[in-house]
Amino acid sequence: MRVGGVEPCGFRNLADSATELSDGITVFHGPNGAGKTNLLEAIYFGLVAHSCRGGRAGDMIRHGEDSGRVELNLEGAPGRVLLSSLDRGGERRHLLDGRPLSSALERPLVSVFLPERLQLVKGPPAHRRAHLDRLIAALWPARGDLHQRFGRALAQRNALVARVRGGHASSASLGAWDEELARAAEPLVKAREQAVEMLRAPFAGLAERLGVGSAEISYRSRVAADASAFAAELAERRTGDLGRGYTGHGPQLDEVALEREGRSLRRFGSQGQQRAALLALLLAERQALIDLGRPPPLMLLDDVMSELDAERRGLLCAALSDSGQALLTATDADQVPVRERAIAVANGRSTTLAVAA
Amino acid sequence: MQAGPISNLIAELSKLPGIGRRTAQRLAFHILRAEEGEALALADAIREVKEKVGLCEICFNLAEGPRCLICEDTRRDRSLICVVEEPADVIPIERTGEFGGVYHVLGGALSPIDGIDPEDLRITELLERVNGDVTEVVLATNHTTTGEATALHISEGLRDRVTVTRLASGLPVGADLEHTDEVTLGKALSGRRSLS
Ligand SMILES: Nc1ncnc2c1ncn2[C@@H]1O[C@H](COP(=O)(O)OP(=O)(O)OP(=O)(O)O)[C@@H](O)[C@H]1O
Ligand SMILES: [Mg+2]
Ligand SMILES: [Zn+2]
Repeated sequence: MRVGGVEPCGFRNLADSATELSDGITVFHGPNGAGKTNLLEAIYFGLVAHSCRGGRAGDMIRHGEDSGRVELNLEGAPGRVLLSSLDRGGERRHLLDGRPLSSALERPLVSVFLPERLQLVKGPPAHRRAHLDRLIAALWPARGDLHQRFGRALAQRNALVARVRGGHASSASLGAWDEELARAAEPLVKAREQAVEMLRAPFAGLAERLGVGSAEISYRSRVAADASAFAAELAERRTGDLGRGYTGHGPQLDEVALEREGRSLRRFGSQGQQRAALLALLLAERQALIDLGRPPPLMLLDDVMSELDAERRGLLCAALSDSGQALLTATDADQVPVRERAIAVANGRSTTLAVAA
Repeated sequence: MQAGPISNLIAELSKLPGIGRRTAQRLAFHILRAEEGEALALADAIREVKEKVGLCEICFNLAEGPRCLICEDTRRDRSLICVVEEPADVIPIERTGEFGGVYHVLGGALSPIDGIDPEDLRITELLERVNGDVTEVVLATNHTTTGEATALHISEGLRDRVTVTRLASGLPVGADLEHTDEVTLGKALSGRRSLS
């Protein structure tokens, strides 16, 4: 499944015109403010129907317009045309050949590197947990609902704990909710462990080669591996939970640690080390998908080359060019030494200057 | 704007599950145009169901009279009780033809978020029903978070008193019985596993 073309309309500063895309590596190059990042964002919005930059969705609509849309041409997919649109009233649509998508599997997976994504390394653990749980859904679609199931059980247990604390309910069914929470936790924790295990070696290797030094990703849940043991831990901590009014123990508090030389990259990493670690993480995830025989995600990499030296630029290109599709932005096309296609962007308009033979 | 009686009808219809405002309008105008006999038959059917159908005093399934047809049927095996959330869940299990026991309808599932606690369900009644004659209780609550927790809570209450089984999964996670086909449900019934 790949994106064969993108056509924005009323989207940021981009011209309302179609741009063809290739397999392999494509570079969007042009001066500051040209619209390169906007083009990546448009492709992301087309696939996912929300912005990859955070912020207000309405900001994507071109100044002075009431609505914006992006159409993507898909190739090798069950559907052909994926459309995302939004208007200033907050109305949003995401349609594949005119119908709502039945699952995320109907469109290509996508992985994004943007300055904002640094939160994944720098931000609180919740970011990394949520990211890992999304990766689980990509790696093993059948396990994609494990974190929702866990989330539902946790919300119910929290509601009961709060009501018991407030004197509005008896604790008679708390044991059942401990058990249900533990049963929902067990497969989620196992999936997280397996996913991180798949990332370990590629992350360490890529981080090393991208100049982070000896880096490691690890996940060790704070809860007992087996459901009945975790249920027993919950029972032991019941008094604490009832005092607090919510569940104070469980995989909802686990950390996915990213470390360099044994120390947290979040707390001690330099900006450059954090950026390189994020890139290594996204590439390791791509590798894990390939290792499972799943299609690699579409890689959207905004301005990754500017802080890498020539050798590391070459290394990144080599890592990306084995399969799949990667779209990179750069002020200068030569920052991306290996490329299938170069697209110049100026004043929101893109022109394909070169396609490799 | 419609006159009073019509907007009343639309308002009442749109309270039904799955009926939005527009569908309610279509239905209301359909009823308005229908022959008098046909339209009043619907009204009578609604009145009759409310007047005649209540809950079975034993199992809380729907019943015309004090007991439901299943509890009245002497061929049913009273040592085997299948616990479901809603009366509607009895129908698909009956359709499989795999179950010869009797039922117990809880009237919902535990859901602290919605303020549904054990006392809001017919759990005490179930525990009272399980006496020396009952040998097995099959928990056929939905395979959802609330259905699972309800099953766990009941099995705790029945511990060491009787064999408690759960419908084998094979039912998709998050499934409710009402929307499961007979073949899958039949397999789940014959492959039920012991919980305690
Ligand atoms: N909603 C919008 N409507 C119109 N123009 C917009 C909108 N949002 C942003 N822009 C314009 O888009 C331009 C920025 O585009 P973009 O961020 O894609 O630049 P870039 O090519 O990535 O530049 P850089 O190399 O500096 O990262 C700015 O000139 C900005 O004013
Ligand atoms: Mg940019
Ligand atoms: Zn009955």
